[in-house]
Amino acid sequence: MSNFSLSSKSAQNVAVMLPKGYINDMGAVSLERTSEQLLGAGMSTLIVNFSDVQFINSFGVSIFSGMVQKTLEHNSVLYFTNMKKVHRDVFEMMGLIKHVKVFADEEEALKFLKRKRKYVE
Amino acid sequence: MLFKTLQEKDFVGREHELSSLYTRIIGAHSEKAENAVLSGPRGIGKTELLKQLFGILFWKQDGIAPFYYAVNPALLSAEAFSRSYLIAFLCHRLAFETKDQSLLYFDGMSLDGVSALVEDRGADWAREILEQYRQCSRDPYSALRVALTAPNRSAQTTRIPVAVLIDDFHLTKGLHIDGASDPRLASLFEEPMSFRKTPHVITGNTAEVQEMPVASGLKRISVEPLGPAGVSSNILTLFHAYDAKGNVPPLLLRHLGGNPFYVRCVVRSACAKDKPVEKDFWNAYIQEIMEGTLSRYWSAALKRAIPDLGLRRAALATAHKIYHTREPLSCQRIATSFSLTDNQAEAIAQALYLAGYVRGEFGVFRAMEDAVLRDIIDCFYSVEILAKPSHDLEREFLERLLPMREDAVHYDITLPMNKEAELVAAQCLEQIGKNLDIDQDIIGQLKIAVIEGCINAIEHSKGAENKIYVSVASERDRLEISIESSGQEFIVQETGEPFGDRGISKAPGRGWGLKLMKRYADDVRFEKTLRGVKTVLIKNLRKTADVKKEDKAGHE
Repeated sequence: MSNFSLSSKSAQNVAVMLPKGYINDMGAVSLERTSEQLLGAGMSTLIVNFSDVQFINSFGVSIFSGMVQKTLEHNSVLYFTNMKKVHRDVFEMMGLIKHVKVFADEEEALKFLKRKRKYVE
Repeated sequence: MLFKTLQEKDFVGREHELSSLYTRIIGAHSEKAENAVLSGPRGIGKTELLKQLFGILFWKQDGIAPFYYAVNPALLSAEAFSRSYLIAFLCHRLAFETKDQSLLYFDGMSLDGVSALVEDRGADWAREILEQYRQCSRDPYSALRVALTAPNRSAQTTRIPVAVLIDDFHLTKGLHIDGASDPRLASLFEEPMSFRKTPHVITGNTAEVQEMPVASGLKRISVEPLGPAGVSSNILTLFHAYDAKGNVPPLLLRHLGGNPFYVRCVVRSACAKDKPVEKDFWNAYIQEIMEGTLSRYWSAALKRAIPDLGLRRAALATAHKIYHTREPLSCQRIATSFSLTDNQAEAIAQALYLAGYVRGEFGVFRAMEDAVLRDIIDCFYSVEILAKPSHDLEREFLERLLPMREDAVHYDITLPMNKEAELVAAQCLEQIGKNLDIDQDIIGQLKIAVIEGCINAIEHSKGAENKIYVSVASERDRLEISIESSGQEFIVQETGEPFGDRGISKAPGRGWGLKLMKRYADDVRFEKTLRGVKTVLIKNLRKTADVKKEDKAGHE
């Protein structure tokens, strides 16, 4: 049995992905694939909620760079939420945080998005 | 190799020193070689380093002839010394020409024997030196001068520089003519040391060599204690030699302070059993400091420095006081404490310094940073001054060392190399952290490091055993996690760090594992072990707690 699972939900061009367990290479590939599908379906914002992520490894984190790239290619944005301090530190160390906005939780990310849309509209 | 020495493959942890010495000697080709004195505490491995240097110079190059001489305390009359020195030099020099190892066994060879050898080889340069020596052999002073400058004469004639490696150099202080020591005799080394074609590397009792005028201008090369990887490899070699297996307790290893002589004595003693366990190593240590080789070694050093029994007793009490007083002691304070005259106190302190028992700094004396010596002094003091029975002493030492052990908590986890086995190690660490009340932020960081360490172990394991051995040891303010697996060595010898498998390093994210381990542990080491390779992660918990406190104070 795998130590990784992924669920997602979407509304109004915003998709939230909820990885759970251990983000290693397999887990990250699964995340990347799902994000591609969501971007393909026209989602303009992807949110990865890390609240149920227990462990990560360097393989897993590195695969996120592909997800960042794909999001940019689709002119979409990628947000991370509910990150543990140490996980955020790993992403920072591997140079991925500068391309992603990080929020304390999903609600904060959505509020930001709402304000942004209002401003843009 | 002629001398009783370690095989090159077993001489580990000193690669840097050896290569630096080699480079220094090789400079003799361009007359850039410099003389040097190897310094370091007793047992640290200066002699072995010199012997290994000889081995490399003898076998691995042809441009510089090495000459090794260990000063023999029984041959200190100028006449006997010069003869022995000259015979040794000629034998080594001729041996080097043909790489004839048998010639290095010059013990017992007479001057006539060497003459015959020289004739046999048709070595005119050596014949001339021998002739000159014979002409002045009635004048010990001149004969000594001829012997000491023989390497340079050979270098001038043959154009092959000579590296002169002298062990126990401090004994040359005792050179004498007709029984009367003459400091001028040792000073005769100044002349051969001034030649650019004959770099001298000397060693011996550091304190005594330092006090000799002839050594004062020499570049001092400090031989440091072995690092953890060097100690670990030394132990492996010893286990192989004694056909034993075991794990030396990390706390005991730290107590031995990276001194290869101490490590060798304790491991050898513990290997009386085939499979020594932790208790056996501690018992071996206690036996060693009470009546083993270590005890006899330090006792002999004290007896040599202070032959007078009464004075030696006072010296022991002085050493004990120095080791149990926080601040350094002056001679005046020693004199007052033990009702000695100033001269007596000065003589005792000086003798302790020369014996390597204490450090002397600007008129004051302080303890050496040597936990083993401290234990031995305590042991001598208890037996000789306090007249304690040995079984009481053994119990006392066990009681003193056991609390150190009881502070330690040790977990051993064996994992099969199954998919995501690293998570089991990380989860165990989380629980261990809770049990030991370790800050969860620290545990979170260490979990990342452990996951990377385990992945590394799985990637590089090519051995028959499909297992990873994880051990977590907490001692006082230190957490040590080791991850061991069978398989090939993956450490680059020069850097002490792992190399990446070519295929693996191309995979995304590879190369970050080591960086993450280094970020979250205060120290990361890689060691060769009986099983294969071990990655050791060390976290200093006190330091982290202090930083947290400072952070908190800063916020307030």
